[in-house]
Amino acid sequence: MSLSRMWKVLKKDLALGPRSPIFLWAIVLPFALTLIMQVAFGSLFDPEPRLGIVDEGDSEITASIEGMEGIELTLLDDAEELKAQVEANDLDAGLVLGVGFDDAVRSGEKPTLEFYISGESYASNRIILSVTTIDLVRELEGGEAPVTVDIVNFGRAGLPISVRLVPLLVFYALVIAGLFVPGSNIVEEKEQGTLMAMLVTPVKTAEVLLAKWLLGVILATILAVVTLALNGAVGPNWPHVVIVVIVAAMLSAMLGVVAGVFAKDSSIMFGIVKGTGIFLFAPALFYIFPEWPQWIAKIFPLYWIINPIWQVSVMGESISTVWGEIAVAIAITAALGALAWTLARRMQAQMAGQ
Amino acid sequence: MSRPISRPAIIGALLKKELTAYSRDFIYLGLTLVVLIMFPVLFHILPDSVDETITIAVSPPVEVLVADARDAFIAMGATEEQLAQLDELDLTEAEEGLLLVEFEDKEQMARVVEGTLEAWETEAGDLVLSDTEAGDEKPKDAERVNLDIGIAFPASFIADVAASKSGVSVTVYSDAHVPAEIQGAMRSFVRELAYQFAGRELPVDFPEEEAVVLGQDRLGDQVTLRERMRPMILFMILLMETFSMASLISTEVLQRTVTAVLVTPAKVGDFLAAKTIFGTFMSMSQALIMLALIGGLTAQNWSLVLVVLLMGAIMFTGVALFVGSAGKDFMGQLFYAMLFTVPLLIPTFSVLLPGSVASWVRVLPSYPIVDVLVGSMVYGATWAESWGSLAYAAVWLVVLYVAGLMALKRKVETL
Repeated sequence: MSLSRMWKVLKKDLALGPRSPIFLWAIVLPFALTLIMQVAFGSLFDPEPRLGIVDEGDSEITASIEGMEGIELTLLDDAEELKAQVEANDLDAGLVLGVGFDDAVRSGEKPTLEFYISGESYASNRIILSVTTIDLVRELEGGEAPVTVDIVNFGRAGLPISVRLVPLLVFYALVIAGLFVPGSNIVEEKEQGTLMAMLVTPVKTAEVLLAKWLLGVILATILAVVTLALNGAVGPNWPHVVIVVIVAAMLSAMLGVVAGVFAKDSSIMFGIVKGTGIFLFAPALFYIFPEWPQWIAKIFPLYWIINPIWQVSVMGESISTVWGEIAVAIAITAALGALAWTLARRMQAQMAGQ
Repeated sequence: MSRPISRPAIIGALLKKELTAYSRDFIYLGLTLVVLIMFPVLFHILPDSVDETITIAVSPPVEVLVADARDAFIAMGATEEQLAQLDELDLTEAEEGLLLVEFEDKEQMARVVEGTLEAWETEAGDLVLSDTEAGDEKPKDAERVNLDIGIAFPASFIADVAASKSGVSVTVYSDAHVPAEIQGAMRSFVRELAYQFAGRELPVDFPEEEAVVLGQDRLGDQVTLRERMRPMILFMILLMETFSMASLISTEVLQRTVTAVLVTPAKVGDFLAAKTIFGTFMSMSQALIMLALIGGLTAQNWSLVLVVLLMGAIMFTGVALFVGSAGKDFMGQLFYAMLFTVPLLIPTFSVLLPGSVASWVRVLPSYPIVDVLVGSMVYGATWAESWGSLAYAAVWLVVLYVAGLMALKRKVETL
């Protein structure tokens, strides 16, 4: 085994990589998926009531709502624009607070409350926005409320969907960069005959495969860390995060090498990834749906790399809390390495027979 | 001397060849079958109703609160009319979307909210509590009631606030995962009840209800996720076919089998016509199968839906001609196809999200197709209401189809 020859193969792959559309997709994906998942689907899973306000007189109501959690506030300048947005269901409700509204309430003039509701707004959102607005109007009036309301919370608050989506985003970064890139790279070399050409030089099969594996590890590590950073999941314990990500990248890249060595051509490679996709993807779903029985996730191989990333990067735990999972991930990687080597010898024999 | 062969016969022979090639492409054939099975299954799993209510538990029952208040009101010299109003009290009458579940015991209610006790509603409408940790069995023919919020009123709540007593306190029990805005709304709801019982009128006037609700009021008649997904699934079927059609063309260009076809009496025009017919037929037939499986055609919308599906099928065939003409290998073609199809997919997300669509999304070629599908299948739009989008779709159809046709023609002629 020559490290220098392996490095040369890796250098060639890194230099030629950007010409490959898969390589480019792997780089673009973390940004595109973060945008789609967090911006589009994030608001889809946990929609907040949307209130628009036209405040012509610096009302205290606006200031109070601005400070409230869970209400998406949009400030507008024009009442007609507000009504148009409410009618189009861009807002669940709209409130127009004219000049002197607060003073009129305090002086008992009983001004008309210009409050509009979208016809497509859900009943629950209508209730939330209307009772909240009325309560704020009551506060403007002054005087003590006839009742004190105490809220007693049970259990721990669940994590927002934007956080629960992080394992899914990291999964895609690992699969595309770690699995797809080295896998398809090996297959392409087989299809184009460059692998055979390389093997008639002093370069050995093991050196080629290790170079491909390293390509996957490097790319998957970088893109998984970038994905975590884009989603605000790399905190002060970043060295721990990098370590668990490297372990994850090692496993996913080894899966890519196994798939690449096994697949005869690109269609079979694609079929393997598509066919095993749900099996690989499954553990990421358990973070989106925490009410599912979590033990089921442990059946799937990528659980052992997704969970350490979740615990260390998202939950901020120390790496020592996930050493068991890391050990399992390394064991799976080693087993896959042995499988890749067996398949590689078969591939070498087939190529020699051609 | 051989007999001249007609153009339809040549195109027919090419179509037969296309069908054979398609049936041999196991990857895309398999994916097509998976999609045709998976999408209807997914569709039928999706909820066909919208739960827009907030369910809250209260203790003690309203009847107990009223009975207690009645005695106090009589002692305070309330009139018969005031007492009658009290007897008819319904805490949710002014709040559509609130559902009350009443508990005799506030401790039990707190345990249900906490999750250590389960609440079940029997077919007769009775509430049954079971402690599964203590070994209680689930009641038969009963449905679990999920309660995340419980309001514990003092029994003398109404009388106390009516008498302006100080120190009246209400406890709201809540599961910690209940969003802050709902917890806040419950606080406001209880306070407003107290204001009302204390006889303090609202310091504002409200306009007429008709002037408050803007747009068609869909309260209790919201569009379900299943209804929203129907046009999205049909659109996805059309789009997915781009991949397999582009793959077939790509292989033909890459392996130069097209040059073999062109040494026969077939001309480039026949080749392009066969590709167009085959691509459109495959997309359209799959969309029709999907329509049969998930439904959605009505006596009012069938013609509009079929026409827009046909337009979509031709549009995506044009895209497939363009992508396939690049003649890339399998992986290259796959990712090249994604480059074109992912942007075209963006308008389908607008189906899932509330509100109007961003102006940049409206510019995309696939938007008018999605718009007409959603309009006709979800909101009952007619031909008259859809002609603008149809015209816009037609313009894009011509642009994309001609671009695809020209790209492939040029490629074939240069091979």
